[in-house]
Amino acid sequence: MTEVIEAKGLARSFGDLVAVDGIDLSVSEGEVFGFLGPNGAGKSTAVRMLTTLLSPTGGQAFVGGHDVVKNASDVRKIIGVALQDAAIDPLMTGRELLKLQAVLHGIPRPSARKRGSELLERVGLSAAADRRVGTYSGGMRRRLDLALSLIHEPRVLFLDEPTTGLDPTSRAALWEEVRRLNSEFGTTVFLTTQYLEEADELAGRIAIIDFGKIVREGSPAELKDSIGAPTLRIDIDPQNLDNAQSVLSGFGIDRPARDGRVAIGLDGGVAKVAEVVSALEEHGVEVLHLELDAPSLDDVFAEATGRRLEGAEPSA
Amino acid sequence: MNIVNLEIRHSSQVASAICMRGMRRIKSRPVLIIPTIVMPVVLVVSFTGAFSSLTRIEGYGTSNIYNWMAPYGALQGAVFAGLGSVGSSADDLEQGFFDRLLLTPGSRFPLLVGTVGYSACRALIPTTAVFLFSLAFGMTVPGGLPAVISLYIATSLLAVVFCLIGLIILYKLKTQRSLMLMQVIAFGALFISVGQVPQSFMDGWLKVAARYNPITNVLELSRQGFLGDVAWSTTWPGLLALVIMILVSGALAWRGLKRLAP
Repeated sequence: MTEVIEAKGLARSFGDLVAVDGIDLSVSEGEVFGFLGPNGAGKSTAVRMLTTLLSPTGGQAFVGGHDVVKNASDVRKIIGVALQDAAIDPLMTGRELLKLQAVLHGIPRPSARKRGSELLERVGLSAAADRRVGTYSGGMRRRLDLALSLIHEPRVLFLDEPTTGLDPTSRAALWEEVRRLNSEFGTTVFLTTQYLEEADELAGRIAIIDFGKIVREGSPAELKDSIGAPTLRIDIDPQNLDNAQSVLSGFGIDRPARDGRVAIGLDGGVAKVAEVVSALEEHGVEVLHLELDAPSLDDVFAEATGRRLEGAEPSA
Repeated sequence: MNIVNLEIRHSSQVASAICMRGMRRIKSRPVLIIPTIVMPVVLVVSFTGAFSSLTRIEGYGTSNIYNWMAPYGALQGAVFAGLGSVGSSADDLEQGFFDRLLLTPGSRFPLLVGTVGYSACRALIPTTAVFLFSLAFGMTVPGGLPAVISLYIATSLLAVVFCLIGLIILYKLKTQRSLMLMQVIAFGALFISVGQVPQSFMDGWLKVAARYNPITNVLELSRQGFLGDVAWSTTWPGLLALVIMILVSGALAWRGLKRLAP
């Protein structure tokens, strides 16, 4: 398969702060690639470099075979970008913005009009097309932002945290549109997100970034399989924490968990749960609540970084 | 059509679209232009009211205070029109819309041209407001049509100059707050000129500063047709001052934009 995005040792520093620390990436044509990480991990900085908005301080990157520094204009011709904060002018209407975006991309007026109407229809904004964007809801702004990024039928679509702040219905609608773009038009999608579920739902392959470095990469299934045993989480009285950990160490590897809870990768899976509970009771540890989960991307993140993703369980 | 022609055509369309976007914003929210209109009109009203007899002193070249003050008021409006368009760019920068513009394929030069084009168009509004207001209150136009053309050329190009100066500062500081600094520069440049009194009435450092302040040449260009006939000897120094200011500030603003978005 053709590689449409490639980064080799891509780095960006701001003074002493290293935002992206020499990452290597490779995304194939037609793929939905998830870039997962907590706030401040370096996701947006990486996207800004790949979309020519920011110069790298180290390494190289190519999009569609074009160097993002030396052939930035060629890169911009083939990419669509929806950045983290929907970059739209509140004083303009949706239709005016689409018209402007078409001019910026050199689309002839008749084609622009037709394409604009199609996109408004596709993202469900036809009725609101002539209203000022300032009156749109968050979900409508995101959908318009997506439509704007698609006006020139880009080969590669960069979506930087596209569903942050959206309600579940708007989020689901946007996911559906991303899936459709990928399956019907073969658009390559580079998606950054801090939501595990989003990466799991949409991405065929995921890279996990933390403190500017890629710590894991693979398909969601591969990454989860790499964790192995399911995670057993047990709520206990915090005073019994050391005692519980000592008992549980005989059943599997310790995993990060929030306060008042212990977690292990349970060797033997569900068959061993009763045995664990008995062992804890024998040692005077009362089990308040327990959960046994198949490995998740959060477990992958926790295993790679020793921390849980924001919004998921904080570290122990 | 060859590739160079296509690039030129695309660039001119981008510049024009950015300029039109600015004008459309004014249409959709007229309140955006009100300060740019009101301030120069207030300047003309207050100065002509308080100092209506000033032009009876020999040396002003006219006995009609409106003929003296209207071009100055119009130039002040133009300066604020230039800074106002920088304010719109500052909004774009802070709200992320500037990123969308930066993602335009091709050179980023049309982004700069579009913004200064918008400032020049925007300057037509306060110039017209001051001109009509002053005419209504007794201003005369001894220089005829050339006087009006000189006034509009001076105000449009001065708006471009202050737009470019503002963009130099904005691209460096990247914040709406940089408008404060721009206003200090704008007021300083206008006050240290022959805006309010002729150069022959000035003394000391102010006289020297006003003589070498290029705004003085621009004022003389815009004012000449309201004091008498339009003469090439007064026109070319004003045009030259404007061209030099545009070239220098344009080069610095372009460098600033390239640094901001390589």
